[in-house]
Amino acid sequence: MAEQRIATTKVAGTWPWFFQRLSAVLLIVFLAIHIYVSHFADVGSETGEEPLITFNEVSVRLDALIYIVVDYGMLTCVLFHGLNGFRTVLFDFDWFANRKKLIDVALWVVGAVTLVWGIIILLPFINGA
Amino acid sequence: MESLRSILKNFKWLFGRNSEFWPTNMKTGMWAWVGHRLTGLALVVYVFMHLSFITTASMAADGADFDVLMEMTSQPLFVAMDFILVVVVIYHAMNGFRVVLFDLGLGIKRQKLVFWITMAIAAVLTAGGLWAIWHLLFRGGA
Repeated sequence: MAEQRIATTKVAGTWPWFFQRLSAVLLIVFLAIHIYVSHFADVGSETGEEPLITFNEVSVRLDALIYIVVDYGMLTCVLFHGLNGFRTVLFDFDWFANRKKLIDVALWVVGAVTLVWGIIILLPFINGA
Repeated sequence: MESLRSILKNFKWLFGRNSEFWPTNMKTGMWAWVGHRLTGLALVVYVFMHLSFITTASMAADGADFDVLMEMTSQPLFVAMDFILVVVVIYHAMNGFRVVLFDLGLGIKRQKLVFWITMAIAAVLTAGGLWAIWHLLFRGGA
């Protein structure tokens, strides 16, 4: 396994390594905003007492373009970071490392489909209220 | 029986006594690495669960489904799972920070010390998370 890991670090590539770090730093920022707005800032803004976030509160927040950018930016980063991390794990196994092209295509497809999925499910919140 | 043994032989690298993953063979850096992978894989699964929940919540045009889901996920069982999520995210983020430091050439020779410093910060952040969850859970008498 130790020898395999060293060998497959080369398989994974330099750009994926770089973007893994970049997305990690961005995710820290996005996550901080995400947790703050969904559990602290918006919560109870309608009644002042209601302890749960509501559809309307999310919808009002998403009237601001910056929050649409934040939400979709976070979605993009989390999908890249998660799937690229999974790719690194897979490439520690010879069976997957020997099928690099197939794995790469499969993960890009999963990532693209999930990105579209994520974009679609936020639209009712953006369009609503 | 013979076939079972031959199947198990394939996993000696993972479960064998001479495996680098056998607990007594693992040192600090290895535990950190294994923890990073396990929490990473768990978080990938979580992201898909999160998207599935939001899909359910976005079905009704007037947002009624979302509010019902928020009611459900504010129950103690879900809040307890949220706390587990907080622990997993904070570990992954803090150990990831340590990995980035090494990539920048910082602290490699003191990797064990760096690990325990990041874990101390993780413990403080986790305590903050627990406090915040407690605060949110009991705000407004929920």
